Amino acid sequence: MRIRKAALLAAVPALLVFAAPAVAQDYPAPGNPGKVQKKPKGPFKTLRVCKKGCKYTSIQKAVNKAGPGDTVKVADGTYRQPVRISGIKKRYMKLIGNPAHPERVVIDLRRAKGAAAQNAVMVNGANEVTVQGFTAIGYKANGFFVVNAHGYTFANLRAMLGGVYGIYAFNTIGGTMRDSVGAWNNDAGFYIGQTPPQDKPVRTIVENVDSFGNVLGWSGTNMRYVTIRKSRFYNNGAGIVPNALTSEKYPPEEDNVIAENDIFWNNFNYYAGAPFELRPPSAEATPYPVGVGVLLFGGRRNIVERNRIFGNYLAGAAAVQQFLLQDESAKDLVGNEVKENQFGLNGTDPNGRDLVYDGNGTGNCFGPNEGVQTTFPADGSTFVPCPFGGANSFSAAVQQEMVNWALDGTHTAFWITHPHAPYPGVTPLETYSTYTGPKPE
Amino acid sequence: MDRRAFLGVGGAAIICTIGGKTIRVETPEDVAEVDAAVRRLQRPRAAAAQADGKDSVDGLQFGTPEPQPGGRVREYWIEAKSLMWDVAPTGQDEFMGHAIPKPRTFRAFAYRQWSNGFASPLGPPSIPGPTLEAEVGDVLRVHFRNADEHFGQAVTMHPHGVRYTPDYDGAYMGDYTRVGGFIAPGEEFTYTWEATPDSVGVWAYHDHGPNEDLNTHRGLFGMLIVREKGAPRPDVEAGLFFHQFAPAITKIRKNFQCVNGRVAAGNTPTIRAKVGQRVTWHVFGADDMLHTFHIHGHRWRAPDGTFTDNQLLGPMTSVTASWVEDNPGRWLYHCHVLSHMHAGMNGWYLVDP
Repeated sequence: MRIRKAALLAAVPALLVFAAPAVAQDYPAPGNPGKVQKKPKGPFKTLRVCKKGCKYTSIQKAVNKAGPGDTVKVADGTYRQPVRISGIKKRYMKLIGNPAHPERVVIDLRRAKGAAAQNAVMVNGANEVTVQGFTAIGYKANGFFVVNAHGYTFANLRAMLGGVYGIYAFNTIGGTMRDSVGAWNNDAGFYIGQTPPQDKPVRTIVENVDSFGNVLGWSGTNMRYVTIRKSRFYNNGAGIVPNALTSEKYPPEEDNVIAENDIFWNNFNYYAGAPFELRPPSAEATPYPVGVGVLLFGGRRNIVERNRIFGNYLAGAAAVQQFLLQDESAKDLVGNEVKENQFGLNGTDPNGRDLVYDGNGTGNCFGPNEGVQTTFPADGSTFVPCPFGGANSFSAAVQQEMVNWALDGTHTAFWITHPHAPYPGVTPLETYSTYTGPKPE
Repeated sequence: MDRRAFLGVGGAAIICTIGGKTIRVETPEDVAEVDAAVRRLQRPRAAAAQADGKDSVDGLQFGTPEPQPGGRVREYWIEAKSLMWDVAPTGQDEFMGHAIPKPRTFRAFAYRQWSNGFASPLGPPSIPGPTLEAEVGDVLRVHFRNADEHFGQAVTMHPHGVRYTPDYDGAYMGDYTRVGGFIAPGEEFTYTWEATPDSVGVWAYHDHGPNEDLNTHRGLFGMLIVREKGAPRPDVEAGLFFHQFAPAITKIRKNFQCVNGRVAAGNTPTIRAKVGQRVTWHVFGADDMLHTFHIHGHRWRAPDGTFTDNQLLGPMTSVTASWVEDNPGRWLYHCHVLSHMHAGMNGWYLVDP
């Protein structure tokens, strides 16, 4: 028993390491997003940026001249400086590249050094800023990053081959992420974290995004009021992992909805090779296990419904107590629902295990779901169908086994593999060296 | 204005009080004046007002209720949004057998139900709004979003019949407004209402924001049903709202006397049942007028124990009429204020043998 306890403790920093904020050097301190900033009345102006023949050749210089509500329009081309949009004077600003072809307006930081290499576009303390139609590449921290704001729109963005997070909102209230791609990031393609609790919650809507080739498709530490819908999470180490941590404020994650997404083939064993630099290992650190579709690591009132979840070799959808959280009041799973999902693509592309749950907490329920063939525990003793309002049936053995999955040094020992069914336009990624799909430039 | 429309106009005036000024709303210009005044309203200083020398009750703090043992949380995701609304999509009055000429379309306000997390709409905006249901011991958790981009006004959801704290009242009350009583455009609020034993019944919910007078009359109302735990549902359960869309609201020189936002059989709900089925009608008055619910060929027991086929409705009160169906055929239901009936407040009830 003591050994098991020791194993649990060893897993602590492991699970922290992937959800903690990026280690960028020029992060603004998270502050109170403050009052909603007054909408500017105009008149508004448009400042044009291009490589040649415009008043501005630097995006940042145009942003510096822009007032509230103004538009900075950036012509096709490659720009090699980061962009920072800060403060109330930039509220409602629009930074527009090429929404129809975001690959043509590139912020490339691969040659940048120091602070300039951290974030391709960072919005800090400015409400309702729109960033649309860009590709970020080679950033050391984040591709597109908003912090300390009420509202934002991130649309038609591609955050590729970068540092920690692709598209990221931290300590913000409300917002929209849509029609975007986060790929080949050494933590998460997309991340919303540390959402302040609100009397009048403002939901963040995420729709029609693609996240692939990342360590995590979606990380959501202490994330609130977020709806992720009609999106695709595939070929990551793990697909969607809302989680609770004390390294950020306001644990646990609460009141999120993950609906109508395709979550599949999250079996990217990046340890065996990746186009990005792996984050430094810690002697104590073991990250999320590879091969998971959705994992709730603690959390309250999260709903996972009407998704298609298939071809994830370890588990399709899983939930486990955040047994390491220092805040005892926030570590248990409460009122989470996993229902009306379709597992295994009609039997053609099974998950290793469709449903996994340690039985922690109260009011957590699973089902009805379609296509569930295997569960862990196999006897289904921790699962009750929705709706359910009572205490769940905890299994220490199941929780211990899930810890073992996280501690597995091979990262594949617990996989149960199956052949995949075809998915239009996507090639399965398990080992990067043998991956035959499109690789990043 | 034709004869039937003229007859339907009676009592169409609405009285609004905004910012201490009372406006008799009889024309579209009056409506525009009220709308503009409401748009200018500042958010109530709710928290500050409560701590600022008001009565001690205004400083009270309240928790959020949880279900009773054995009860459950019933979550709804509802948005309010204005839209162009046709009162007669078929263009026909099947009751009197003639076309309903244009114009018939105006800007209404409606509630719309979404799936969890506002992930997907579960249907179009509707008048009345989605029916909310609970059993005794449950709590209704209603996530409400003001998604309107036209009127620029705060709106709310205010329920009848269920138990709620002042925070979840959904009522604008000037400086005494609590958190749920002023949901501005773009804002969201989660109401939590308890289904207590004395909540059993059928109730209305509606806008009770600063422009309740106009926005409820534009279509922001719906039905809420609380049943005993495990109580069976009837085989056929119809929810009808009798109300008018007045010319001042629609900017159309006709007074549309509506059932569920539509005029005349063929546009209003057609209710269908079979002989032998248990049939229940819940019929509300949803304007400032007097109406009755009358249906041909059927009778039911009124609250005083007598049988009736024509029962009185006042503002936001309801009639529940139940019977086991035994009379097949095509039947008419309508308001028996005849000027209302002939201005559209009627519909079909079809009973198969």
